Amino acid sequence: MKWLGYAWAAAATLACTLVASAIGARFELVNIAMVYLLGVVLIALRYSRGPVVASSILSVAAFNFFFVPPRGTFSVEDPQYLLTFAMMLAVGLIISWLTESVRAQAKAQAGLALEAETERIRNALLASISHDLRTPLAVISGASSSLAERGERLAPEERRALAQGIFTTSREMSELVAKVLQMTRLENGAIALERDWHALDEIAGSVLRRLQERLADHLVMVELPRDLPLARVDGALIEQALGNLLDNAARHTPPRTLIRLRAQASRGELVVSVEDFGPGLREGELEHVFDKFQHGIGLGLAICKAIVALHGGRIWAERIPGVGSAFRFALPLETPPQMPAEAPAQA
Amino acid sequence: MAAATILVVEDEPEIRKFLRSSLGAEGYRVVESPTGARASIDAGTHKPDLAIVDLGLPDFDGVEVIRRIRDWSPMPILVLSARVQERSKIEALDAGADDYVTKPFGVGELLARVRVALRHATRPSSGRPLALGTAVVDLEKRRAERNGEPIHLTPVEFRLLACLAKHLGLVVTHRQLLTEVWGPSHAEDTHYLRVYLKQLRDKLEIDPVQPKHLLTETGVGYRLVADD
Repeated sequence: MKWLGYAWAAAATLACTLVASAIGARFELVNIAMVYLLGVVLIALRYSRGPVVASSILSVAAFNFFFVPPRGTFSVEDPQYLLTFAMMLAVGLIISWLTESVRAQAKAQAGLALEAETERIRNALLASISHDLRTPLAVISGASSSLAERGERLAPEERRALAQGIFTTSREMSELVAKVLQMTRLENGAIALERDWHALDEIAGSVLRRLQERLADHLVMVELPRDLPLARVDGALIEQALGNLLDNAARHTPPRTLIRLRAQASRGELVVSVEDFGPGLREGELEHVFDKFQHGIGLGLAICKAIVALHGGRIWAERIPGVGSAFRFALPLETPPQMPAEAPAQA
Repeated sequence: MAAATILVVEDEPEIRKFLRSSLGAEGYRVVESPTGARASIDAGTHKPDLAIVDLGLPDFDGVEVIRRIRDWSPMPILVLSARVQERSKIEALDAGADDYVTKPFGVGELLARVRVALRHATRPSSGRPLALGTAVVDLEKRRAERNGEPIHLTPVEFRLLACLAKHLGLVVTHRQLLTEVWGPSHAEDTHYLRVYLKQLRDKLEIDPVQPKHLLTETGVGYRLVADD
């Protein structure tokens, strides 16, 4: 792209010469010089010092050759034009230096803005972490201190309820910490996929077993075709992504809501859906549900997005009008390897 | 039977304290080792019936502790692992650990694993037919039935079930299953397992997607759970 600036320098000089010769008869030579100066300034606004110097020299030469008497030569009768030449060169260089420093400043400011954005995200993360951790910590320290200090005065069922509360809350906290850690690792590119052939129904079965308690108040319906092809994915990560979608559906819909887990293979993709028959997403929420800090820390869906992206897939949310919402992700399918057929055994 | 002795290899004093009290309350005798080096000595002097090993020890790798115990003892070993230690968990299982519990865990989960592992050590494979819900599989006679009707299992399906049944209630890694059923050259061919486990679930489970007996431990292996 370097030569482009010089080409424009030459073109500008040519244009100025044409303009100047059109008006030359009616104007003073000093004003003709101004036309050339304008050309130099325009080049200086757009290009670096090299083309500016080139355009100054070309302009001086053209001005001298075509307009300064004796015309048609590079000799100069009146030494005052030497000053004009020097001024043209100087103005060109000054303008070029000014625009370059303005450009550098703009760049620095963009850098600062990026830094500020990173800082803002970090602060938001810290704020939501401290909020989301402070509440469970208050529950844990309150419940455990009443057990420790006045446990013998409590009825057995009250003691059990307090202890159970500590257990549940601390589990949630630990999940949250794991999510923050996971998000950080995903964002830093610290996670390498361990791809292997997996059956989605196995992953689904394993998720549903892990989330049994969390989903106990909802009606979960599983619709998986019997002939889903194997997918080469990181099983643990896809399990996590699917788990986060189910967990999200359970969290944002009232008890007894129907949650449907579906999957299908179509056009070289495995499309997995978690649909809920709850209140549904509001207009404008669709594009942002996968962003961080949407709900509290709300890392669950952001983690899904990162995991699916790592697999080269797509993730999106939809409103199902009059029904609820759907969260879907699609993973590219590959041809599964062959395996030797087993000789049919005698029954 | 005398109370079983459990060796707890864990560096965090608070977790040791909690394990001591919950295992003690169940009548187990607890020996505590705060380091891997100590664990090797304690395992020799106290002759525990089972070891619980934390994978994140300060002095040396929990996997190394397991290898050292396995050199001379078949005692069941349970591994405590954090969620981020997926790799070392599989390494530990392949090095001879029998099962794992992921931190943080509830005491019910831990005690259930301890009971299964101890039972497995005292009476390995009983030879009794496996009761799997509505299905019954007799591995010795190579017969299977469901709701009283005979069902056909292929030789590979029988071998796979036998391998899982040998570690009844415990997790078996992909590598272990593949090596034992298809041979060492197929140790990486996990897609064999996906296909055969699906076939087995279709034949034996009431709901193959939400199985009660042939359970998947994603990224680790499988676990066969039979009715008592």
